[in-house]
Amino acid sequence: MVKQANENLPMPVFEKVRYGPWRLENMSPSQSVDESKDLQENFLGLKVIGSTTTHHQLSADLVEAGVLLMNIKQAYQDYPELVKNLVGKVIERQSERLAANNYDQFNTGFFLYIPANVQIEPVMQVTLNQIADGQGDFIARVLVYVGENSQVKLLQRMRTVGNHASKASVVVEVLAQRGSRLTYANIDGFGPHTSAYINRQADILANAKVDWINASFNDGNTITRLASHVDGEGSVSHAKVATFSNRKQVQGFITEIQNTGRHSLGHIFQRGVILNSSALVFNGIGRIIKGAKGSDAQQESRVLMLSRRGRGEANPLLLIDENDVTAGHAASVGRVDEQQLYYLMSRGLPEKVARKLVIRGFIGEILSQMPTNRAQQDLIDAIERKLQYERV
Amino acid sequence: MTTLKIENLHVNVAGKEILKGVNLAVNTGEMHAIMGPNGTGKSTLSQTIMGHPAYEVTAGHIYLDGEDLLEQGVDERARAGLFLAMQYPSEIQGVTNAEFMRAAINARRPEDDQIGIMDFITQLDEKREFLSMSEEMADRYLNEGFSGGEKKRNEILQMMMVKPKIAILDEIDSGLDIDALKVVSRGVNSMRSPEFGTLMITHYQRLLDYIVPDYVHVMMGGKIVKTGGAEMAKKLEAEGYASLRDELGLNVSLTDEDVNEYVMGD
Ligand SMILES: Nc1ncnc2c1ncn2[C@@H]1O[C@H](COP(=O)(O)OP(=O)(O)OP(=O)(O)O)[C@@H](O)[C@H]1O
Ligand SMILES: [Mg+2]
Repeated sequence: MVKQANENLPMPVFEKVRYGPWRLENMSPSQSVDESKDLQENFLGLKVIGSTTTHHQLSADLVEAGVLLMNIKQAYQDYPELVKNLVGKVIERQSERLAANNYDQFNTGFFLYIPANVQIEPVMQVTLNQIADGQGDFIARVLVYVGENSQVKLLQRMRTVGNHASKASVVVEVLAQRGSRLTYANIDGFGPHTSAYINRQADILANAKVDWINASFNDGNTITRLASHVDGEGSVSHAKVATFSNRKQVQGFITEIQNTGRHSLGHIFQRGVILNSSALVFNGIGRIIKGAKGSDAQQESRVLMLSRRGRGEANPLLLIDENDVTAGHAASVGRVDEQQLYYLMSRGLPEKVARKLVIRGFIGEILSQMPTNRAQQDLIDAIERKLQYERV
Repeated sequence: MTTLKIENLHVNVAGKEILKGVNLAVNTGEMHAIMGPNGTGKSTLSQTIMGHPAYEVTAGHIYLDGEDLLEQGVDERARAGLFLAMQYPSEIQGVTNAEFMRAAINARRPEDDQIGIMDFITQLDEKREFLSMSEEMADRYLNEGFSGGEKKRNEILQMMMVKPKIAILDEIDSGLDIDALKVVSRGVNSMRSPEFGTLMITHYQRLLDYIVPDYVHVMMGGKIVKTGGAEMAKKLEAEGYASLRDELGLNVSLTDEDVNEYVMGD
C-alpha cells in the first residue's frame, strides 16, 4: 500500500540535472554494523557508523538541562512521542517521492533536542558514516529541535567507509523555535561510488535565526536541496554553500529561502568550483509570500570554471508576491581571479601554489565560518584532494 | 651589488601607450624616489617591472644583474629578488597572513630546507613587533577587512620577511596617519644595507623626510624627465609639476595644472 503511494508522488525537480539513471528512488537500507572498534574519541557529540553508535558524549550540565542527542533508532525507543511529533513536520512525507521513501525506510541518523533557554557554548559535533560494503544503502534521518531562546552550533560530518557502489538518502529536518539560534555547519563527504540525495530544511519561527554552512564535498553524483522557511516576524536565515565538482561528477543544488514572516531575512550565498569533466548546476530560489512586508531576499551564486570540459550554471530565481520588500541577485560563471593570482605570485609563490590559495579564497566565506579549527583544516585538505586530479 | 636596469621601456595598457621610453638604474645600497602627477605611469612602471599580465612591453628591456626579466614569470622575478609593495593589495579570505608569508619564504628555499615553524614564528614576531602590529594579525586572513593603513603595514611586513634585493614601494605612504608613517618608514629604513635598494613612488615630500632618498626622479607623460637629489622633492612640493614642465619645455598636459596659482593667489 505505502509503496504504491510513493510511486505516485513526483520526483523532486532539479532543473537541468538528469539524475534518473542514478535510481535514487530504489534503495534498500543497509543493515551493516560497524566492527572497526574505533579508537576512543573525545568530543562533545555523537558518532554513528552505519547504524551503530560508536561514540556518545554529553556533558553532565547538558544532560541536566534536558538536552538529548542520540541515534535516531534509540530516540524512537526512548522518546517515541517527541520523535513522532517531529518527523515529517518540516519536510512532509508527501512532498516528493524521495522524501517519502526516506520517511518509510530510514534506519539511521540522529536526534538532537534542546529544550528552551539552553545556551550551548562548545560546538556540538555529529558524524554519520555510511558503510559501503555492498550490503544496501545509507538511509538517514536527522531531527534537530532548538527550543525557544536556545542556542547551539552544530557541526555535522558525513563520510563513506568502504568503496562499493551504493546510494545514500539523507533528510534533515530542523525546527527552530522563537528566538533561538542555530548554526548548522556540515561537511558532506560521500565517496565516489555513492550517489546521494540530500535534503535539509528548516522551519524558523519568529526572531529565530538558522545559518547553514554547507560544505558539500561529496565525490559521487549528488542532488542537494537546502531550504529555509523564515516563517516568523524577524526570522533570519543565511544559506551558504560551497562545493567542488571533479572528475565525472554530476551535482545539482537547489538552495531556497522562503520568506513568510514580516521583516524576515533570507540570504543565499553559493560558491561552486568545477574541475575535469564534471557538471554543476546551482539553482537559487528566493520566494517572498504575500504579506511578508519588510522582508529581504538576496542571493549570490558564483561558479569558478577550472576546466574546458566542465559544465556549470548558476540560475537565480526570485519569486516575489509582495511589494514592500528588498530583493536582489547576482550570478556568474568565471575563472581564477588574475589579480589575486598575480599578488600571490609577486611574493614568489609558484603559480601552482598560488592558484590553489586563490581557489581556496573563492570559498573563503564558507571556510572561515566552519566552527572549529579542525573542521577548517579538514576543508582545506578536502580542497587539496579535489584539486589533485587537475592538470594545470 | 645587484642592479635593476630599465632601458628605453615602452608599455601599452589596454592598447594605449603609457610608458614612452623610461630609463632608470637602481643599485642595491641606493634609495630612489619617483614622483609625478596622477596618471602619468608610475604604477604602470612598477607593475611592468613585476610582470603584471595586463601591461604589454612594446619596446625596451628590464634587467636584473644582466638577466632579462621580461623572459621571466612574476614568481621567478620575485624569487630573483624583486618585491613590489602594491598600491592596492589583494584580499584573500581563507588564507592566513602567516600561511602566506611562510609559503613566500619557503618558495625561496630548497624543498629539503623549508623553514621550521618555530623559526618562522620567531622571525614573524620580531618583525611584527617592530612594525607595532598586533599578534592576532598573523592569523587573520590575507588583507581581508584590513584598513588601508593596515594593508600598507602588511606590505612592509611581507617585505621584511622575504628580504628582497630591490623593493618597489608604490605609494606606501598613502592613507597612513602620522604615527603609521613613522612606523612604516622605520621598517623601510631597517632594510637599508649594501644588499638592499628601493624605488619609492610617492606624492608627498613628507615621506622623504623619513626615508631620505639618494635620488629623486620626476616622471611626466610616461618618461622620467628629471633626476636630482632629495632637495628636488622640496622644490617640487613648493612649485608643482607645471612649473617644472615649463622649465623643461615639455609638451605634457596636466589635469590639475592651475592649482598652484589658486593657492598662491589667495
Ligand atoms: N589595468 C589598466 N587598465 C586600463 N588602464 C590602465 C590600467 N593601468 C593603468 N591604466 C591607465 O594608465 C595610465 C597610467 O596609470 P598609472 O596607474 O600608471 O598612473 P600613476 O602614475 O601611478 O597615477 P597615480 O599617481 O594616480 O597612482 C592612466 O591613464 C590609467 O588609467
Ligand atoms: Mg599609481
